[in-house]
Amino acid sequence: MTDDTSKLDRAIGLLREPVSIDPSLDRRIMDEIESLPSPGGWKKRVWAVYDWLMRGRPVRVSPLGGLAVAASVAAIVVLGRTEPSSLDGTAPLTTALQGSAVQFVIVAPTATEVSLVGDFNDWNPTATPMQLVAENRVWSVTIPLNAGRYRYAFLVDGNTWLSDPTAPPVGDDEFGRPGSVVTIGET
Amino acid sequence: MRKSTIWQILALGIVAGLCGTIVPASAQEPRLQDRVPEAVRSEIDAVLDSARAQGIPAEPLVDRALEGASKGASGDLILRAVRRLANELLAARDALGSESTDPEIVAGASALRAGAEPEDLQSLRSLRADQPLTIAAAVLADLVAVGVPADTAAAAVIALAVGADDVEYIAFRRNVERDITLGASPVAALGVRLNAAAEALDYAAPRSASTTRRPRKP
Amino acid sequence: MGIEGVTGDSDAALVGRVLAGNTGAYAGLVARYRDRLGRYAMRMLGNNADAEDALQETFVRGYRSLARCTDADRFGAWLFGILVNRCRTIGGQRAKRQAKVSENEPALARASVAHSEANDALREEIEWAVAQLSQTHREAFLMKYVEDLSYEEMMELTGVKLSALKMRVARAREELRRLLSEENRD
Repeated sequence: MTDDTSKLDRAIGLLREPVSIDPSLDRRIMDEIESLPSPGGWKKRVWAVYDWLMRGRPVRVSPLGGLAVAASVAAIVVLGRTEPSSLDGTAPLTTALQGSAVQFVIVAPTATEVSLVGDFNDWNPTATPMQLVAENRVWSVTIPLNAGRYRYAFLVDGNTWLSDPTAPPVGDDEFGRPGSVVTIGET
Repeated sequence: MRKSTIWQILALGIVAGLCGTIVPASAQEPRLQDRVPEAVRSEIDAVLDSARAQGIPAEPLVDRALEGASKGASGDLILRAVRRLANELLAARDALGSESTDPEIVAGASALRAGAEPEDLQSLRSLRADQPLTIAAAVLADLVAVGVPADTAAAAVIALAVGADDVEYIAFRRNVERDITLGASPVAALGVRLNAAAEALDYAAPRSASTTRRPRKP
Repeated sequence: MGIEGVTGDSDAALVGRVLAGNTGAYAGLVARYRDRLGRYAMRMLGNNADAEDALQETFVRGYRSLARCTDADRFGAWLFGILVNRCRTIGGQRAKRQAKVSENEPALARASVAHSEANDALREEIEWAVAQLSQTHREAFLMKYVEDLSYEEMMELTGVKLSALKMRVARAREELRRLLSEENRD
């Protein structure tokens, strides 16, 4: 045991010996770095976008996607709203930050009743009925959600499960029914 | 009652109150009553007890059981789903660290189910040490759910980990999803949006599995 | 190489200059930390090529995200955290490749061990033994015994709680002791 321990100690001593890396690596690193923008730069651009937003411009989100910057704009603006509205062309925000009231919307023109059922209401089919809005085609409800990740679905007329077409799917077919996910992050 | 007995009872009460993770063996989750088949109820309760004892959130497990119940699943299916989720929560907590919040653990478990590796979650933790990982892990899982291969999604999320905040992660996922809806292949959509995010955040695109390694000395 | 008079300048001073736009100042940080980080990368990954990849990626990432290094006086520790992750990723990728290809794992592990130093039997033996450890055990062992990190620093880097870290270190130590003594009996 003593021999083993002293051998281990010698091993540690050898492992601690300095290593010399080929100094040409420095040149390769600096070559790669010199092709990059200055690291101070990205923050300025993000803050420039933020400043532009805070001047209260109206925002239209092009369905063809546009720039990532435009999408960031949409996300920030929706978060800032106190009355979420999904009826002007922007989809409900199915990933959001804590403190937001989240609106759930489904188009079901022939339904007589629709409820929102999910992790946030113990999968109780009657806890969160939705209201018919907008020319009697669109069902909607808004609920506050704390930070977390919630699976949910819409129950139509008490017997048909629908996933939310505007939200990420659950990604697994655990119970053989469609479903969606909403994630709320901590602030 | 003798005074010393009263003090003993009080002392036990204080100790029991302090030991938050001690749960009597017969504890039953009341919300499962009349919803989950009786045949599997005690086994599900055992999973919940074990989860609490190991310090992982039990609420997601209760939710999963209730989801199965409300969708008419069999008791065996519900039990299997609850056990599977418990294992994933544990793995996520181990990868993300014992100081993780419940939302982080749940999102991490989703990422693991989607095909991320524990090392991916560890990388996120290291690269975003000053922020919660809930949204980052959720975006990873959600990208896989819309068809992006798991390792590609993980690479993208990790690449953005240093420069992007949660709002930017959300926007990134929505953009990728929008492009897929409009007909782009998931990987192509991811690549395009990653480059766009890189421009907006002043990054170069990360290496993906298919990129050649950087040149070495001759 | 244009280190531009960085000898003696603190990390914080160099970081400040880089953020102000002086890219060349970063070369000083690279020179300062290359060998120190290189030692961990070599011990962790076991071969020159992967270690150099890990180093290059680490320094480049460090540059890109320099604005997020909130305490420039601890630049080295912050950079080391990036290196730990690069080594995990590269080590993980290599493990996956090897898992698919290998039929004779111990032989392959030996082949990948660096021979940059003189052909010393003990060194080879040690490098082989370290390569046998799992990634998490090797990482914990190197952090504790080679890099001299405190458990507090290790917890920050790995996100793992204290008891688990201590267990990993103890197991790694025992495993190495066992491997080194078995070798003797071959």
